[in-house]
Parts: sequence; C-alpha cells; structure tokens
Amino acid sequence: MRLQQVIGRTSFWVFGGGLAIMFLVPLIWTAVASVSPHGATAQQEGYGFNNYRTLTEYDAGLPTYLWNSAYVSILTVVFTLGLSLLGGYAFARFRFPGRDALFLLIIAILMVPYATLLVPLWVLLGELGMRNSLFGLALVLTLYQLPFSMFMMRISFEAVPREIEESALVDGCGTFGVLRRVLVFAVWPGMITVGLFAFLHAWNDFIAPLFMINDSSRYPLSLAIATLRQQTMGAVDFGATQAGVVIMALPCLLLFVLLQRHYVRGFMSGALKG
Amino acid sequence: MRRSTRTRATTAVTAAVLALVMSACGGDDDTGTTGGDDDGGSSPEALAEGVDDGSTITMWTRAATEPQSQRLVDAYNASHENQVELTVIPTDDYLPRVGTAAGAGELPDVLSLDVVFVPQFTTAGAYLDITDRIDALPFADDLAQSHIEVGTLDDAKHVVPHTMDLSVLFYNKSLYEQAGLDPEAPPTTLQEFAEHARAIDALGGDVSGTFFGGNCGGCYVFTWWPSIWAAGADVMNEDGTESFLAEPEAQAVYDVWKGLVEDDIVAPGTQDEAGPTWTGVFPEGNIGIMPMPSTTLGLMPDTFETGVAPIPGVDGGESTFVGGDAVGISSNSEIPDAAWNFIAWTLGDEAQVEVVAQNRDVVARTDLASNEYSDQDPRLVTINEVAGVGRTPYSLRFGETFNDPQGPWLPLVRNYVFGDGTTLEQDNEAVDASLQS
Amino acid sequence: MYAAPAAVFVLLLFVVPLLLVGQMSASEWPLLQGSRGINLPDNYAGIADDRLFWPAVGFTLKYTLIVVVVLLVLAMGMALLVQERRRGVGFLRTAYFLPVSLGLASASLLFWGFYSPQIGPIDPLLEWLGITDEPIRWIGTPNMALFSSIVLVVWKFAGFFMLILMVGLQSIPNEVYEAARVDGASKVQSFFRITLPLLRPSIALCLIISITGSLLAFDQFFILTNGGPDNSTTTVVMMIYREAFRRFDLGSAAALSVVVLLVLLIINIAQFRYLRRGADE
Repeated sequence: MRLQQVIGRTSFWVFGGGLAIMFLVPLIWTAVASVSPHGATAQQEGYGFNNYRTLTEYDAGLPTYLWNSAYVSILTVVFTLGLSLLGGYAFARFRFPGRDALFLLIIAILMVPYATLLVPLWVLLGELGMRNSLFGLALVLTLYQLPFSMFMMRISFEAVPREIEESALVDGCGTFGVLRRVLVFAVWPGMITVGLFAFLHAWNDFIAPLFMINDSSRYPLSLAIATLRQQTMGAVDFGATQAGVVIMALPCLLLFVLLQRHYVRGFMSGALKG
Repeated sequence: MRRSTRTRATTAVTAAVLALVMSACGGDDDTGTTGGDDDGGSSPEALAEGVDDGSTITMWTRAATEPQSQRLVDAYNASHENQVELTVIPTDDYLPRVGTAAGAGELPDVLSLDVVFVPQFTTAGAYLDITDRIDALPFADDLAQSHIEVGTLDDAKHVVPHTMDLSVLFYNKSLYEQAGLDPEAPPTTLQEFAEHARAIDALGGDVSGTFFGGNCGGCYVFTWWPSIWAAGADVMNEDGTESFLAEPEAQAVYDVWKGLVEDDIVAPGTQDEAGPTWTGVFPEGNIGIMPMPSTTLGLMPDTFETGVAPIPGVDGGESTFVGGDAVGISSNSEIPDAAWNFIAWTLGDEAQVEVVAQNRDVVARTDLASNEYSDQDPRLVTINEVAGVGRTPYSLRFGETFNDPQGPWLPLVRNYVFGDGTTLEQDNEAVDASLQS
Repeated sequence: MYAAPAAVFVLLLFVVPLLLVGQMSASEWPLLQGSRGINLPDNYAGIADDRLFWPAVGFTLKYTLIVVVVLLVLAMGMALLVQERRRGVGFLRTAYFLPVSLGLASASLLFWGFYSPQIGPIDPLLEWLGITDEPIRWIGTPNMALFSSIVLVVWKFAGFFMLILMVGLQSIPNEVYEAARVDGASKVQSFFRITLPLLRPSIALCLIISITGSLLAFDQFFILTNGGPDNSTTTVVMMIYREAFRRFDLGSAAALSVVVLLVLLIINIAQFRYLRRGADE
C-alpha cells in the first residue's frame, strides 16, 4: 500500500510537474527573450531593458496608452457586469416572452466572425456619434463578452437555492430589493469571473480599437504595440514584440493570480447544470 | 446607413465632378467650400503652394513608413501655421482601416498609401484630382514619375511620391574580400550575381550566399521583377489585366534563383520566410549579397561595410521596383488647399534635402539626386540614380494577386522555384484570372 | 424586465449590424465605394467557385476535429490531476491556467517568436544537445504548420477547459464513487461508467465553445502562418477576411459569413439539444 502511494505520488508529480513546466516555458521564455541581446532589436549587447525603453518612449508614451487601456477595460467590465447581472437574473428566475429566443440570440454573437461584424458596427457607431471614442469602443468590446457573461451569470443565479430569496420576498423586499440585498452576494464569485474575463478581453483586443479609434493619442496599449511592432518598412522588431507581449500580459497575470480563489468559486457555484 | 452609398463616376473624375458628387452625398461632412477653388482664377504660385492659414490637417500613414512621415510632419509643423495630425496604423491592418473609411467617405485630408494599392483607390474616387496643382509646381518635371503615373487615371493625376523605397542589391564587402572577390565590383548581370553568391557561400560556416523572402509574394515582386524589367521585358500588359510572368524572360530570372536554391546557396529559412523578418537577415552579417529595400540602408550595422548596386537583368541592364508610399488629398477633405500646402512643401528643396536626404532616404526629385548628403555617401547616388530607370507596376488587382499570401502569384513562383515548375502555365492562368476578376 | 437592457443592447449592436450584413450579402458592395445595389444571388453563387473555398472548408474541419479532441482529452486529464486536494495542486492549477490570461493575439505573437529561426529557443537547445543542427521548420510544411498552431491553441486554452471540467467533476457527489467501489468497480471502470456520463453537461459546454471557436479560427493563423505554406492553413474566416479587406468585396465576404453563421447555428442548436437531454437524464 505504501509503495503504491509512493508510486502514485511520484507519477503525479512527474506528469503534473512536467506538464506544468511545458505550460510555463513559453511564458518564461518570452520574459527572458525580451531582455536578451539580439541583432536588429534595441537590445544589442548584454541583457537589459532597452526593448522596454523603445516601448515606453513610443509616440504618445506608455502612460497614455496604459491609461486608455485601463479606462476602456474598466468601462467594458462595468457594462458587461451591469448587463449580465440583470440579464442573468432575468434568464434564471423569470419567464418572459422571447426568453429563449433572446438567449439564443446572445449566444449567436459567438458565431459571427469578428471580421464580419466590424464594418457594420463601425458604420453604426458613426451614426450614433460614438466613433473615435473610448466609450463606443467599450460598447463593442462588451458585445463580444456578452455570450460568455450571460451564460455564466445565468447558471450562477440558477445555482442559488430559491429558498433564500423567498424568505427575503416574504420580508417585503421587491424582486430588485432581493437582487440588491441578497442575490448579489450569492453570485459574487460569478461576477468576479465575468468581470475578469471582460477585463482580459478588453485589455488584449486590438482589432476593435483599430477600427473604432482614429487618434494615436487615444490608442489603447494593445493597438500601440501592434503599431510599434511593424515599423521600418514592415520588418518586425522581435525584441519590441516580446517586450510588448510581456507588458500586455503582466497586469492580466497579476489579476489572474490575485483573483484565482474567486473565479474558481465562480465556476464552482454554477456547477454547470446545463 | 445608406449614407455611405455613393454613385461615383469611375472614369474621368475631375475635381469639379468630385465636388458635385460630394455635395450630392452630403453626409456629416459639409461640402468643402474650398473644393471649387481649383478652377478659380488663382495664380499658378497660389495653386502650387496651397494655403497656410492655421488649418488642422489630418493624415494617416502605415507604421512601416512612420519614421519618414513623422520627420516630415514634425519639420512642417515647426515652420507653418497649419498643423498636421499624423495617425499611425499597424501595417498589416492599414488596408482594412483605410478601405472602411473610404467606403464611408471618412478619409483624412491627406492619405498616404503603399503605391501598389493606389490604382484601386483612385478608381474608387478616394483621391482628389490634383493635376493642376502638380503641374504648377516649379519642379514638376523633376518629380520621380513612377508613383505619379500609377496614380494617373485618364490623364488626371492624383498622387505624388511620399516615401520612396527602391529595391537594390546590398552586398557585404568584408565577405566579398574573404571570398577573394573585388568589393568595388558588384555584379552587373544576374548570372554574375549568382556566381558571387556561390563564391561567398563556399566560405562555409554560418555564411550563406544569398537570401530572399521565399514565402512572401510582395518580396518576390519587389526583388525579382526588376531583373525582368532590366531585360526589357514586362511583367503585365499596360492595363495590368494580363500576366507575362510565364514568359521566357521571367523564367530566365526564376531559373537563376532556382539554381541557387537547388545548390543550397541560400540561407536556412529562405523557403519559409513570410515577409516580416526578411530584411533582418542581411544585417546579421552572414549573407553575401541580396536585394534589399533602400530604406533599410540607414539601419545597416557598422560591423561590416555594406555595398549597394542596382539589380541587374540576367544578361545585364538594370532596374528597380519603385515602391514606398504615395500621397494625395483625399476626396473627403474639406481643406484641400491646406492639405496641398503640406504635400507641396514635402516635395520642396528644403524638405527633400534637409529631411529626406539627410536621413539617407531616397529623394523624390531627380534634380536633387546628387545633394550635399549623397555626396558624402556614393551609395545614395547609386540609389537615387536607379530611381530614374525603375518602375512601379500598375494593376487594379495588384494586392490580392501579388501581395496577398492567398493570392495566385505566390504559388506560381514557389512551385517553380521550390517545386518542379511543371505547373507554370496553369499557375499563370490563375494569375490572369485574378487580374481580370 | 431585467433583461430589457441586454435586449436593447443586443438589438442595437448585434441585430442591426447583422441585418446590414444580410443586406451586404445580397448586394454588390465594394468596400471602397459602398453599396451598388442588389445583385442576389451572385455573392452566394460565387462562394463555391472560389478556388480557395473547398480547401479552406476541408482544413477548417480537419483542424477543428484535431483541436477539439486533443484539447478535451488533455483538459480532462489535467482536470482529473488537479481536482483532488493534494499538496501542490494549487501550483499546478495556476500553471495550467496562466496562459488563459493572455490574449490570443499576444499568445500568437509569443509563439511566432518561439518558433522563429531568429530567436526561437528550441533550435539552439537541440543544437547544444547535439541532436540536430538543421533548424526545425516549425511553420514550413503543411503538417508542421498545423502541428505548431495546435500546440499554440492547446497551450492557450487547455486551462480554460480544465476549469470547466474540474468544476463538473467536483459537482459529482463522492457517495456515487463510494458505492461503485463497494461494488468492486476498478478506477478505470468507474471513470467510464460514472464520471463520463455524469460529466456530460460540462463536456457538452466544452464542445460548444471549442467547436465554435475552432471553426471560426483566425488570429492564430493570421499571425503565425498567414494561411501558408501554400494555402495549407487557410481557414474559412481567413477567406472572409481576404474577401473583405484584400479583395475589398464586402458583398461576398458577407455572404460567406451568413453561410458560416447558419452552419454554426445548426451545429450549436443540435448540441444544445444534446446538452439539455444530458441534463435531464
């Protein structure tokens, strides 16, 4: 029995650890590559942060781009949470005409290629006077985040036992009161998950800003890096590219690790009842 | 939404017609009041110079040519009332972005464009007719003509050169010496080029004779077509609707390169090079000789000496692909006179010499080919001079046929050079079909 | 009532643009000039004539099949590995999950460098070990390009699916396994007889997401292989992109999109049915 345990534990570590290394290697490599010397990059000799200097000094400057990215991402998170919290509640708890059709419609957003919808969206936002604004951009980013968020919030609400709200309803709360006073706390992990993924998506996407934003000074970081990457007659700067990947990834990795407990519970609480 | 809908004359687009079309479509841009000034009684000088009245001029450029554009914009803004606002767009995404804006009539005042895409945009009416303005320039006859010709539609000129990028041979003089070749005698025929490459490749180690973007349609076009032109042949008919790329002259060029590939004279990775890094290999110092974009001359390291020579034909002659960006006033501009003030200034003596030439870029005017900066570096004279015999190919379907990795040109040349070449005729029919679609 | 904001939002930003896509698909609509009027059914009729179309469909299906199988099998293994409370499990979960936080474009750029002969780490390593001194052509041949793209996608998404499956696994009550063990079922038997059937909703959700995502694959190929070599990794969405932004033909791009949307709707409605049935059992 003991021997079996030892074998079991060893193989767990060999398989699990080996796999973990394979997952971590590319991340570690890109961090190392971004500070390594290489011809045709800003880092010519020895290790150092010259590639990052290229990045920070580019055009409007890193702080501007970081601010734009943070602003758009937070706005997207707010929109996504607002829509999916109310919508998830509605889908989970109420029967209303067109419920299934609306849900299917939201899921169908996933099924339209990004490239297809961008031109119509661009025309539409122009009509609404929201082109070249970070606000309009956040709306577009929210759209593509909606299917996952709505699904997630729906199952989060469905996983909450009805008894909880029934007692609150008896206590004289309206349905909105129940949502505000009781349910929000019950679906909190789900909201964190939804918010996190909305943030990641908004932070990383560069196709939507490419179409929606005209001024270089309003570019989010993702688009600025895509621009920087292809200077000098389209030749790509490897160093700046990998430094860009690192800068883009750092806030995400950080948020990810910080919130890990919550989003795992977010998935758990849903338990995916289908 | 139907506001973006436009009926535009595809032929004979004069400025007056354009102004009419613009007012007919309206949109949220009010029709420019200055649009009609072209026909007014302005003096030639005023026409040539445009207006410097403190307007804000918007301009878009792709990231690839940003450094060149930015330098011109900075110098202009420092000395003029008008201010140019430059928006830089990632190179790979430039066409989607610009195309969408063109369809909705929301282009910036000044639009720079990779010159091979200009015909599509002029035909679509995205550029204003600036024939009179160009002709009024005191140095009109000295402007490099290839860009202007590509932007000419039914005798109406729409663009002028903005950033000139020529294909020329770069060779590594230290490797030439090591291989016992004369570093001051670059090849004058493509055959000789191959001999030199073989001699250098024989040095062994990490050194290779030559390199090219083997999975990059635009690279082939840019580096191989000059050899076809140098032999006096054409790559397409005048309208750009029929391909001559399976003709004997073209085949002769492919054959030379195919020989180098078969004998492994090319650097590792040649066949898979899709474009983004094709210019990054030569500066590392292990390539003997290869065609390169002239704009990269300023980026060459000082660890070895780089020689420059025109791209020769198989049995002699020389030519170049005059690439880079052309620039014009978009038909959506409300301030064409101010926009022209900037464009005209970029072509003037001061900008061409003190901004363009000083940064070792190719000047857009033949009369300035020899200037105080090129005098310090004879390689620049070589480049500036070959611009005069170079060409810019014209086709309305250029990008999707030749640049696009899914286009039919890339398989044609790859099948020939890396494969057995038996499908040349059939591949060329696909090119024809694409050109005519 | 609470669904009203979402309904308005979807109507405005999704249904309206979608209708415009429908109109485009029925019109001659050059990107640079705008609508030139209805030309039905030219855009649809032209789809199958494109020399790229059937190879692209074939490749997209092949890619989807491989990715979905590899991704789900691996994610299942990982989920089984990390679902138990054990020392070090937290570290493994984090490690597997970290790549999920990168954007797909970032991840593609990362691997583009990783595979590149210029700065990629694998060739120098193999050379140093004396195994080979020829650079590996990671994206040079059709099979290698497919393989390399799959590695990227699996790396990026396996953690996500692991999480979904892990949650499913943990929602299976322990008593069920206890009962099976008392009946003398081996671990393998109980996995196939108990775990898999009870996991059906989670698996179905993974299938929906991974199949839809793979059929719409674009970024990874756009950045990594550019559809090459020799069009071997051109996907259907790359064709849509080419029609719209390289050929400036919004009409045929929209027609192709509509066809793709319909196919995906059919596939997904079928899967939803399956998911529902799985949940009811």
